[in-house]
Amino acid sequence: MSFEDKIAEHARRTARAKAMGGPEKLARRAAEGLLNARERLAMLADPGSFSEIGLFAVSARPEDRERSPADGVVSGYARIDGREVALAASDLTVLGASSARVASQKIAHLRNSAIRNGMPFLLLGECAGARMPDAQGAAGMGGIGLGYGFNRRRETPWITAILGPSFGLSTWFAVQSDFVVMRKGAALAVSSPKVTAVAISEEIDPEELAGWRLQSEVTGLVDQVTETDEEALAVIRRLLAYLPGHAGELPPEAPERAPARPAEEILALLPESRGKVYDARKVLECIFDAGSLFPFKERFGRSIFTGLARLAGRSIGVIACNPLFKGGALDADACDKAASFIVFCDSYNIPFVQFADTPGFLIGQAGERQRVGGKIMNYVQALELASVPKLAVIMRKSYGQAYLNLGGGLSDEIAAWFTSEIGFVDPAVGVSVVHNLRREQDPARYDELARAMARDNSPYDLAGIFAAQTVIDPRETRDWLQRMLEVHRRRPGGGIGNHRLSVWPTTL
Amino acid sequence: MAIIEVRSEITGKVWRLDASMGELLDEEAPIMTLESMKMEIPVLAPVAGRLKEILVAEGEPVKEGQVVARLET
Repeated sequence: MSFEDKIAEHARRTARAKAMGGPEKLARRAAEGLLNARERLAMLADPGSFSEIGLFAVSARPEDRERSPADGVVSGYARIDGREVALAASDLTVLGASSARVASQKIAHLRNSAIRNGMPFLLLGECAGARMPDAQGAAGMGGIGLGYGFNRRRETPWITAILGPSFGLSTWFAVQSDFVVMRKGAALAVSSPKVTAVAISEEIDPEELAGWRLQSEVTGLVDQVTETDEEALAVIRRLLAYLPGHAGELPPEAPERAPARPAEEILALLPESRGKVYDARKVLECIFDAGSLFPFKERFGRSIFTGLARLAGRSIGVIACNPLFKGGALDADACDKAASFIVFCDSYNIPFVQFADTPGFLIGQAGERQRVGGKIMNYVQALELASVPKLAVIMRKSYGQAYLNLGGGLSDEIAAWFTSEIGFVDPAVGVSVVHNLRREQDPARYDELARAMARDNSPYDLAGIFAAQTVIDPRETRDWLQRMLEVHRRRPGGGIGNHRLSVWPTTL
Repeated sequence: MAIIEVRSEITGKVWRLDASMGELLDEEAPIMTLESMKMEIPVLAPVAGRLKEILVAEGEPVKEGQVVARLET
């Protein structure tokens, strides 16, 4: 056989590339209970479906070629539940999966291929930061500027899992993604604690700088948090099932499932006292297909819930005030969260419904310092520009500008529950403002004035001027939503929207 | 064993204390109820633990982010 040498050489090079950072580093990782890049890909992809690209890529610097298999990123095409995706997994055992020229080219190649071919792009990110000295110097920095680009136009869904320390490139991908899942113990920041300590003399605990609590509760950059790698990968698989492969097609459908809780339960969950709170997520379980609620940013801006669900097997976006937190009063974070979710739904042809139960936007100094006025307008602007079917349900309170943000006048159809009340301001506040009277001054007169003001807040008055299209029994909500979507999904274009929000900033 | 600070998520007034000192609380059990935006808003235990300190009294105004209680886990 004439090619014997070449066969042997090919086998040797293949084995070397697949050996990643070597047995010692891999063993140390396994001992810590962490999956390596190839194990992660194998777990995520349908068995046998992974086609690797860039296996023989190595560092652009000759002196690093022998120690940079795949240049620290394992990448290629695979199928997940039978659907094509482009994906890349950082390999921390190779030079800390640091960002360098060839690795970045591999990721850019996949990203561009995903866009051209209408496939989701997935990144399983870990990255120690920029690789030095590759990026150092004018030629290093100049090389980085040649050809990567930061254009994010939401042509296809991007999903990032943060499964280890992530600084630099995988952070840029994460924050531009449609969805980020993070394993507890991983880190997500622009710069590592080490660089931070050198640059600004700030000695900081890695969890405080880059941990899951910060990124899921304070910044909202992370959408879901898991305990293990395996759970994070399962989250990605689950999310993909709600999404189209690209912005030019409709999401796939699943079999219909009845809600987990009976519609009757809505009336038991809603407190009769208008000042009392409840968990709106339980109400949603009475309306959507059992087990289908998939939250986005559940730990952030909690007075509003955002997430995907299924209604009779079809994907739908849900934005719902949750009075359990802040009484449902919407703050700056809640506005950012709602706006970014509208952008997401509109980009991937997912109709959405907003559920209102809010005493209004949360006023006060804390909000002003966060530029809440601007964020309220961003939110309503996103709603206005969205071209997918948009529905609104007023559950209980809907006051002031929040009434408009939650769909008043800006939805394809609005239903008010018979439990709802609508006005410019809560009557209890309105009396004090209009009549300059606090309850403790004259309780009898105050109560009478408040009752009179509340009478004008009826859903039938809203429906009377046709600002709501109907008043319904809360138990009819699922049927109403299904029927309205049957109508509004008929619009020309076959359900593919105009995507005017596709270039909306990825972080508000 | 760790001490967990419980913070008010909203500016308002303490309307009622719902748990007492030393009480063993489940995660999300109400510690106190605030009044704000004309709503009764619960302050929930962020984790399960024993209520070690209550730092505010009924009727007292609180700021967003203010530590109102401490739990021992």
